[in-house]
Amino acid sequence: MRILVVGGGCGGTILANNLARRLAGEIRARKARITMLSASDQHMYQPGLLYVAFGQMMPDELYRDQASLLESNIEFHVDPVEEFQLDQDQVRTESGKIHQYDVLVIATGSRIVPEEVPGLTEGAETFYTEESAVKMFKALREFQGGKLAIVVGVPHKCPIAPVEVTFSLHDYFKTRGIRDKVKMKYHYPINRIHTIENVAKWTKPEFDRIGVEYETLFNVKEVDVKNKVVKSEEGTETEYDLLISIPPHRGMEVIEKNKLGQGGWIPTDRHQLTMEGRDNIYVLGDTTNLPVSKTGSAAHFEAEVVADNIASIVKIGAPVREYDGKVYCFIEAGHDRATYAMFNYQNPPDLKSPNKSMHWFKMAYNKMYWTSVRGLL
Amino acid sequence: MTTQTETPLAATVADRDDIAHDLEQLSELATLVSSARDAMSDELVTRVASALSEGITLLDRLTRNEGLMRLLQVLDRPESQHLLIGLSEALGAMSRDIASAPPAKGGIVGILRLAREPGTQEGLRSISLLGQYWSESMRELHRRGSG
Repeated sequence: MRILVVGGGCGGTILANNLARRLAGEIRARKARITMLSASDQHMYQPGLLYVAFGQMMPDELYRDQASLLESNIEFHVDPVEEFQLDQDQVRTESGKIHQYDVLVIATGSRIVPEEVPGLTEGAETFYTEESAVKMFKALREFQGGKLAIVVGVPHKCPIAPVEVTFSLHDYFKTRGIRDKVKMKYHYPINRIHTIENVAKWTKPEFDRIGVEYETLFNVKEVDVKNKVVKSEEGTETEYDLLISIPPHRGMEVIEKNKLGQGGWIPTDRHQLTMEGRDNIYVLGDTTNLPVSKTGSAAHFEAEVVADNIASIVKIGAPVREYDGKVYCFIEAGHDRATYAMFNYQNPPDLKSPNKSMHWFKMAYNKMYWTSVRGLL
Repeated sequence: MTTQTETPLAATVADRDDIAHDLEQLSELATLVSSARDAMSDELVTRVASALSEGITLLDRLTRNEGLMRLLQVLDRPESQHLLIGLSEALGAMSRDIASAPPAKGGIVGILRLAREPGTQEGLRSISLLGQYWSESMRELHRRGSG
């Protein structure tokens, strides 16, 4: 059984490691082979970028060599896929090499596309890449007070990010002793302040308490960089001195170019996690079009299900598990307090009061991630 | 009657003392937890988590290392331990003898003299047997596919 994993991010790595453990005997007996193709020899802990934007982590703390995270029985190549030839059960890579498979796992992730909103790239700070997170930190350091606007593009990775960055900004300015000089305004594209209803209910009084204004039904149309005004599709506008954005996202270009899914999101069976119409192709993490958050935790829980199923197909010829839509998100709530949201297809999250222990759990998880991505936790 | 009325009272006082003692212990525990919370910092939590994370990874690698597990099984046998102790003692004695003996003069006569020593002959026999069993063991490991 030739298993090909395309993408070495959180989901792809957890899946490959998990599978390599389950199929150790089969791999040794040459009955199974796991190959991973990735675009980079480095693995980034993406949630750490928010900490970089506030000077709480250095960029080099976010990286590990991808090969060092993989089980030794996984063949790893830094050679991204250019063409998916699904009818021939093969892919062609950037180097021109053809990889054939019996089972394919696509976990290519997502990318930011701020260029889809005129003026957003030049006018706003963000933290979704290493470069932008460092730039945002420098902009925050220079900011001495004025109007700060937070805008949110859709769809975007990590649904909690808009709320977390707002709490973090409040804390940051408070620590610097200039919070009273900063007028913070939060904008959200739907008619409540968060897409998850219970998160919206919990966040509203918290924003009231820390003095953050909010405007809902604000879909960013364009940023007038010269006059420092951000305009919405709904016809409203907000003036700013510093603009922080959660940029809109798309799936990876290779998915769009190969016409595997609109916007780079592959149509995926919500329980089996197979690509619609293809039983030997699994889709993981951000790459799916599932109605779940685009987060590392969703990719993690999906990877466990897919690994279990591929291993059981190898061993008994049939899948054994179904994904229930489980997602777990930490929510940093400022003042060294945090809470969490856990939910699935059936049950919405029930948020508890934030506390210090949850904040430390999150701090600890920032390091435990490397154990998690190796498939140990 | 007197005894009957005094006994529950004495028991109540004793119970109260026990409760007070328990509360004192709980209060001490709460102070300890509170103190630990105050002493903790993000940095400390991060460092401990980092060490724990690497520790778990190392433990996982070691416990899934079949060669290491087999080696530990071999070392668990008394004869393996005796062998290692014997080897260690022999190395120590050899080191002392070499340090105290004059440098070898060289030449064929010296080799012949050494070859006549019973210890040399036993040593050669041991090396020969070691080679024989080692080769058999290596062939067995390769046959099992873990060599």
